[in-house]
Amino acid sequence: MEYIDLPIEELHQALVNRKTSPFELTKVALARAHASKENAFEIIDDEEALAYAASLVDPEEDNLLWGIPFLAKDNFSTKDLPTTASSNILASYRPVFDAAVIERLKAKKMVLIGKTTLDELAMGGTGTTGHLGITYNPYDPTHQRMVGGSSCGSAAAVASGIVPFALGSDTGDSVRKPASFAGLVGFKPTWGRISRYGLFPFAPSLDHVAYFTRDVKMAASVLEALGGRDDRDSTSSLRSVEPYCELLNKNTGVKRIAVIKEIQETIKDNDVLLHFSKAVEALRKEGYIVEEVSYPLELLQSLFPTYIVISCAEATSNDANLDGIKFGPFKGGNTYEEVMKRARSEGFSELIKRRFVIGSFALMRENQEDLFLRAQRNRAKIVSELNKIYQSYDFIMTPAAPSIAPRFEDSSDRLSNEYLIADSHLCLGNFAGLPSITLPLFLKDNLPVGINFMGRAFEEANLLALSSQFERLSGLAELSTVTRKEGYL
Amino acid sequence: MNFEAVIGLEIHVQMKTKTKMFSSAPNSFSRSPNSEVAPLDMAFPGTLPTVNKQAVINAIRVANALHMEIDRTILFDRKNYFYSDLPKGYQITQQNRPIGKNGYLVIKANGVERKIGIERIHMEEDTCKQVHYPDCSLLDYNRAGVPLVEIVSHPEMHNGTEAMKYVEGIRNIVVYSLTSDGKMEEGSLRCDVNVSIRPIGQKAFGTKVEIKNLNSLKNIESAIDYEINRQSEDILSGKPIRQETRRFDESNQKTTMMRLKTDAVDYKYFPEANITPISLSEDFIADAIATCPELYDTKLNRFIEMGLNETDASIILSDRDVASYFEKAADIAPGKEVANYLSGELSAFMNKNSLNVNTLGLDPVSLGQAINVGAKEKLTHKQIADILLRMCETGEAPEAAQKALGIVAMSTDSNEVDAAVKAVLEANPQSIVDFKAGKDRALGFLVGQVMKASHGKLNPANVSKALLSELKK
Repeated sequence: MEYIDLPIEELHQALVNRKTSPFELTKVALARAHASKENAFEIIDDEEALAYAASLVDPEEDNLLWGIPFLAKDNFSTKDLPTTASSNILASYRPVFDAAVIERLKAKKMVLIGKTTLDELAMGGTGTTGHLGITYNPYDPTHQRMVGGSSCGSAAAVASGIVPFALGSDTGDSVRKPASFAGLVGFKPTWGRISRYGLFPFAPSLDHVAYFTRDVKMAASVLEALGGRDDRDSTSSLRSVEPYCELLNKNTGVKRIAVIKEIQETIKDNDVLLHFSKAVEALRKEGYIVEEVSYPLELLQSLFPTYIVISCAEATSNDANLDGIKFGPFKGGNTYEEVMKRARSEGFSELIKRRFVIGSFALMRENQEDLFLRAQRNRAKIVSELNKIYQSYDFIMTPAAPSIAPRFEDSSDRLSNEYLIADSHLCLGNFAGLPSITLPLFLKDNLPVGINFMGRAFEEANLLALSSQFERLSGLAELSTVTRKEGYL
Repeated sequence: MNFEAVIGLEIHVQMKTKTKMFSSAPNSFSRSPNSEVAPLDMAFPGTLPTVNKQAVINAIRVANALHMEIDRTILFDRKNYFYSDLPKGYQITQQNRPIGKNGYLVIKANGVERKIGIERIHMEEDTCKQVHYPDCSLLDYNRAGVPLVEIVSHPEMHNGTEAMKYVEGIRNIVVYSLTSDGKMEEGSLRCDVNVSIRPIGQKAFGTKVEIKNLNSLKNIESAIDYEINRQSEDILSGKPIRQETRRFDESNQKTTMMRLKTDAVDYKYFPEANITPISLSEDFIADAIATCPELYDTKLNRFIEMGLNETDASIILSDRDVASYFEKAADIAPGKEVANYLSGELSAFMNKNSLNVNTLGLDPVSLGQAINVGAKEKLTHKQIADILLRMCETGEAPEAAQKALGIVAMSTDSNEVDAAVKAVLEANPQSIVDFKAGKDRALGFLVGQVMKASHGKLNPANVSKALLSELKK
């Protein structure tokens, strides 16, 4: 145990009291990063990180984030620091600007120590498709189990205690699902709450800046830093940012939680169901009203195909800029067509090309009505059914994953109901753009499983307050492979 | 067989805004290559588009001038295709909801007024500029993201002159609304023309041929008229018309084939999710229209009311700089007088010396003052013109130029006139005889003699009046 493993408030006090320093924390983080065996890093930026950390000598008492080392998924633009999105097509790319969130974290004097791996271009949920190969789950030293994706490197790094916070992105469940497999807080605020400027797009209508922390207080503090209007992202909201940390312990009177029956029925892991019901009981004891509600089964079954059609269609267009002409490796060619074809043929993996073909097919004139537009209409239906629940309830509570992190060999494309619904329902939050948070629920065979709460748009304060309370009930705050805890539930 | 041509036009207009359509890079013509580029213009990953408000205002003004229905919601779509001049691999445009639709423009061609229907006007962004060399191609991203409006007419024109007048009308609107500088030769107004022909009476359209690279009004007219002829001849000689894109070769005044159009490209349009729908308030639209600079037609009518004839008014209006110069001078001196000098002596002087109103050396205020001074001193048109030309060359004030030229006002003293007339009549008895014999030319001769004797100081009208009354005695 080191200072860096402490809850954020205690860590901050240690910094303020000069018991440790940004430089010391950064050294520990870098040492742990180099020692880690999870293949979580695209780049570790020792020199810059240490130099910057050494310059932070006057603790800022009212800045909880001051001097804390952090990591960013390698699909956030970082000025002069290579950013590859774990794809060979961007192998040599050095951005000329910092993403809005990187700017804001630097303004808070956080120390960026490196960039983490992802499924190539953030498309995937297994953490196995990046150009550096598989990223492993730190809870399984035998390296048989995935940490999930696409924000695999950030999840693995926070779970193995390297940093207390790492940026990710969430288009389907790319932060909230790995958070379940890695025992972390995985938080995706409302679409528009955080500027996406500098986040490499996968599917803009679904893309969210999201992140991993080990406690809710840190998540609240980061949102205070990252939330708010950025004129460079015209979809970012003008709503003011609330004092989320201060509001964590305020009794909001918001108490009604819905559990979707049709999702529960697809969970086959009895331990998950057992601990989920313990969580329900614990929340009821705290005065919450938790009730089962119904959501149309056919809409749940349509989540995955709808997601695939919309996200692939948007992706095929977003990644059309990667053509070998302006940046990224140049593979030669006598005509512009040849230059583009070579760069794209060699730069993208087969899986990515498959997604582009699906997306392109869905957008073709003769298919658009039947695929893309139908998916869009279905998305509207999905959202409107969700809104019906929010007329009577403040939150929706679900298991964040069907079970513990799967073995790589079991992760084939099984389209059973379990995999269709239990494994994909978190994208409800992306379709509707609602704030959604995964928290550790319990550990099974030393592997974590998470629970997910989803709130109303822009009601992050309520969602974080509930999460803070839940964290005390579960006893799993600050969970990492360094701290090793058993929960209360 | 008699044919009827059917012509439709797509006009791309580069907008004169401070920054680009979706990025904060400056938008100005002719800087050094790749000097005005924001990360978005080169499609760096993670960049996002933000809509240029002035571009929206401009588009509203043009839509209004073209009597179009203005959409209260601004939405954008992506047009997807791969090309080396398209950095993002898609163009942000307004496919499904153009900002304006269903309008018209009144043109006057060959003495006949016609209403040409306009299907739509939409906003979009320009591509980057390519320069091709034998061994490489160079890309200039200054142009990438420059705001454009595209104006699409209905296929309702029938000959080159109509099309030319239509483009001229559109150009007048975009230039006078300060939307664009409208320079065809520099590509800030670009025109794609679709021409097909069909036997008169036939309803169905013939095969459509597209003509590109038309960089002047004259070329539009010539290219279309050539193309109508070519298609007619081909059909009469049994050659089928192919769907193709042609370019106009200015040197031999012919269109030549660029490429055959195969199945139309599928651009896979879909909504741009990075720009949420923007609702335009009624106030915003009303304000954009109310603050629109005075348009061509309004100015033309106003100039005619000032006493200008239509030809002079349209010559002045054919260049916005000249028009604004004229208006400044006309604020001081009578418009008709200003127009006379501007389209007469000053225009000739500028042509001769390759000058324009900005390099003429005579500011419009001085022009107006000189005219007023001349009028006050009762100088003749010729005298004032001489003063003005000297002012152009020396930069002197009107009074100084007049003094330097030794110009003095015509005498209005009737005694002086009478004395001079008497002297001339005494010296030319034959002319008196001629006049009385009905030879009117004799009067002109006598006026000339009086003017000559008085060194131009007498008013010729007064002289001729005095002569007549003397001769009729």
